[in-house]
Amino acid sequence: MSTTELLALGGRALALVEHGDAEVTIVDDHSELTRFAGNEIHQSVAERSRWVRVRLVHDGRCGVGEVRGHGERAVAQAIAAAEESRRVTTEPDASPLPVPGGEPEGPVAYAAATAAATPQDRVDRVSIVTGAASGHGLEAYGALSTTTTTTAIVSSTGTRRAAASTQASLVTVVRGADGGGYASRHSADVDALDVNDLATEVVETCERNQNATAVDPGDYEVVLAPYAVTDMLEHLGWVGFSALATQEHRSFMKLGERLMNERVTIRDDAAAPEVFPFPFDYEGVSTRPVTLIDHGVCTGVVYDTPTALRDGVVSTGHSLPQPNTWGPLARHMVMDAGDTPWRDLVASVDRGLYVTRFWYVRDVHPLRTVITGMTREGTFLIEKGKITRPVKDLRFTQSIVGALDAVVGVSRERRLELGEGASGVLAPWLQIGRFTFTS
Amino acid sequence: MREVSERALDAASAAGASYADCRVINRTVQKLTVKNGVVASVELIEDEGVGIRVIADSAWGFAAVDLLDAAAVEDAARHAVRIARASARANRVAVRLAPAPVVTGEYRTPVVSDPFAVSLEDKVDLLLRTDAAMALVPQVRIRECSLEFVREQRHFANSEGSVTDQTIIESGGGLDATATSDDEVQTRSFPNSFGRHQVCAGWEAIEGFDLPGNAGRIAEEAVALLTADPCPDGTMTVILDATQAALQVHESCGHPTELDRVLGHEAAYAGMSFLTPDLLGTFRYGSEHVTITADSTRALGLGTFGWDDEGVAAQRSVLVDQGLFTGYLSSRETAAAIGRLSNGTMRADGWARLPIIRMTNINLEAGDSSLEEMIATTEHGVYLETNRSWSIDDRRLNFQFGTQNGWEIVDGKRTRLVRNPIYSGQTPEFWRSCDAVAGPSEWNMFGVVNCGKGQPSQLMHVGHGAAPCRFRNVRVEPAR
Repeated sequence: MSTTELLALGGRALALVEHGDAEVTIVDDHSELTRFAGNEIHQSVAERSRWVRVRLVHDGRCGVGEVRGHGERAVAQAIAAAEESRRVTTEPDASPLPVPGGEPEGPVAYAAATAAATPQDRVDRVSIVTGAASGHGLEAYGALSTTTTTTAIVSSTGTRRAAASTQASLVTVVRGADGGGYASRHSADVDALDVNDLATEVVETCERNQNATAVDPGDYEVVLAPYAVTDMLEHLGWVGFSALATQEHRSFMKLGERLMNERVTIRDDAAAPEVFPFPFDYEGVSTRPVTLIDHGVCTGVVYDTPTALRDGVVSTGHSLPQPNTWGPLARHMVMDAGDTPWRDLVASVDRGLYVTRFWYVRDVHPLRTVITGMTREGTFLIEKGKITRPVKDLRFTQSIVGALDAVVGVSRERRLELGEGASGVLAPWLQIGRFTFTS
Repeated sequence: MREVSERALDAASAAGASYADCRVINRTVQKLTVKNGVVASVELIEDEGVGIRVIADSAWGFAAVDLLDAAAVEDAARHAVRIARASARANRVAVRLAPAPVVTGEYRTPVVSDPFAVSLEDKVDLLLRTDAAMALVPQVRIRECSLEFVREQRHFANSEGSVTDQTIIESGGGLDATATSDDEVQTRSFPNSFGRHQVCAGWEAIEGFDLPGNAGRIAEEAVALLTADPCPDGTMTVILDATQAALQVHESCGHPTELDRVLGHEAAYAGMSFLTPDLLGTFRYGSEHVTITADSTRALGLGTFGWDDEGVAAQRSVLVDQGLFTGYLSSRETAAAIGRLSNGTMRADGWARLPIIRMTNINLEAGDSSLEEMIATTEHGVYLETNRSWSIDDRRLNFQFGTQNGWEIVDGKRTRLVRNPIYSGQTPEFWRSCDAVAGPSEWNMFGVVNCGKGQPSQLMHVGHGAAPCRFRNVRVEPAR
């Protein structure tokens, strides 16, 4: 369905609600993904679905009903479920539905080529990667996905927002006899994915990463590629950049205090063209840019309506589906670029490690932003400014804030990467003076 | 559902599929959460659709749609065939399936009390009583408790003639108490972390958890952790409680025995495995105290069913037999690659996802010790309770776990509470250092409800039976 049709369906849903305020969210999803392993396509899938979520607020009590499937009956079923759930809510403490402020529509990441991509279109691109790998006697693994999502949110308080967005992602690992490489590219436009460039990068990394030898764990100066930096920023978003985390005293953020190096500026910007721009959140509130860290100083957190009411401010438009106990989330993080080419960052390291990516990163102590994880598919020793040899993967256990306080260089190049939680992050290469590897 | 699957299989065959299977799934979920004395959310969720998997021109295709009318189902079946044919043009190797018996039948999770027959009011009341018990401990800043109930009707049919109908019922619940100070945040959970303990059972399971009866104790433990000493640092004996043992099994045995990982199907995402086929039957994975099974027939497990999502019957397989690596989790395709038959571990996260190899119930079988005896015979070590963090490398060797609670053991006695404990190691060395597993009376079935794998991402509910167990010479330290 088009955005217009979804808005009309949402409007008809509102008309069925008998009491109180209502918010109707309708998401149409068309996703296809082609997966490959050992230079063969082993899984290729397609999905079409519609998700209808109804939030009712009446006499201060809130209920939620959610239906996927059931065709035209979905709306009525979702309303009935929401009314049933509202009935048993005991405390009249529900956050009110937001009233729209009349903000102009922001940009949306959409490309017709992605929406129209066929199985053969994906196979053709995958074949470029598998062909490059096999041409070097290597094996390629990965997935190419194309997704079109149409979202409409309407409410009885006047919200009426809709947008169609697209996303294309190609993630690859290329493996040789004793080691592998990693590369990914993401864009709203499948035609904008530079598959040949990706293939060159991943094959080169793989060939360089053969027969790795061990180095002792300990503290190293590092250059982290954007893939690794993305994981750190995404975890900061989860544990600290939310207003709920600060209100519950479980965030590292101390507004007004400098906790990181002055080279570090992190923003959330849902209008940034590089980071899958999208104009509104799951309450239909316009998503405003928020500077989270300004030259190392904690300057802001993101809000949804409940947390904004608590602090007496206006929502920044970072809500997840309401109600929820997780709070708002920064989903379009951008780290400001520096002015040094990333290869010059490497050149300035006397002895250290170059890390392509992290793996299985988990929070060890959220308040201290301590995370642990492994390096994977491309960890290299830097000696006298040159990448000299591959090293075996290492486990790190490190405070993210501590690492960002130890930044000594930020690259001028940046890459869009998707974190484990699928947030888009635009990240540079970082040179960090001290990073702790534990095993 | 039968009409839908017949239509899908007919359409796939007419479009040229040499094999097809179809899952029609209706899932009903209730989620209730109380946070800080308020009913934070009551969500009622309905989810229905059909997923159609085909082999055409010797390649796989899959398409799913949430509409069950004839046109939508037939269109999805034809699209699955189109996808397969596009892939076939790029492939050199034909898909080959190990044979499997044709099956028909029905299965239903045995429940004493249907959780969907219990009123929402009674469920909210239980949560509010749980919250009130935590609220008696004023230093607890964040109180959260929740219930979740799942009813899934799964209809499966394939072009070989198998047809099964299953109704799976899950009940889960749990509480988290979080205490904060200026420089510390500590959470204690019950009965397990990650929000809840979930099993294939009815309302009787929730009553058995006794959330209100345990809430005050757990809240007090969260507060005590704020000022507890840091965990000792060094190489020492570690005793894991059953919940942490369950996660240790999950990460360091369940995942590396997934045969699709071994064969590289997950290499770009979840990773591969150190348990390569040449090690089968010869590799000493653990000590003689370590026997690990995959058992989809075990009561209460979230991986308990009648048939997997390829129509292969539920069964028990031994993955590690008294320390020796003996088996994999497999599918019809991956089993064929190593000359075996599937042991029935293909599972799909709903109708919209392709079945892939997943854990069923991966169990550390009971031993003959007890927690009391393990502590009494430990000179110096720590007893670790309830997972807090977990990480392991892409081959499932190098791991690090953190737990919510630690108790220092000195001269056979549990002494002081310690905070922020972390332990780490290498999988085989760790399991080889296991010198005791508690007996059947301390063995329980736990659920993991957030097991991620696959692209597009799939979250699976899996079961783990485990008991407290002891390991020697483990690296332990406090999170710094």
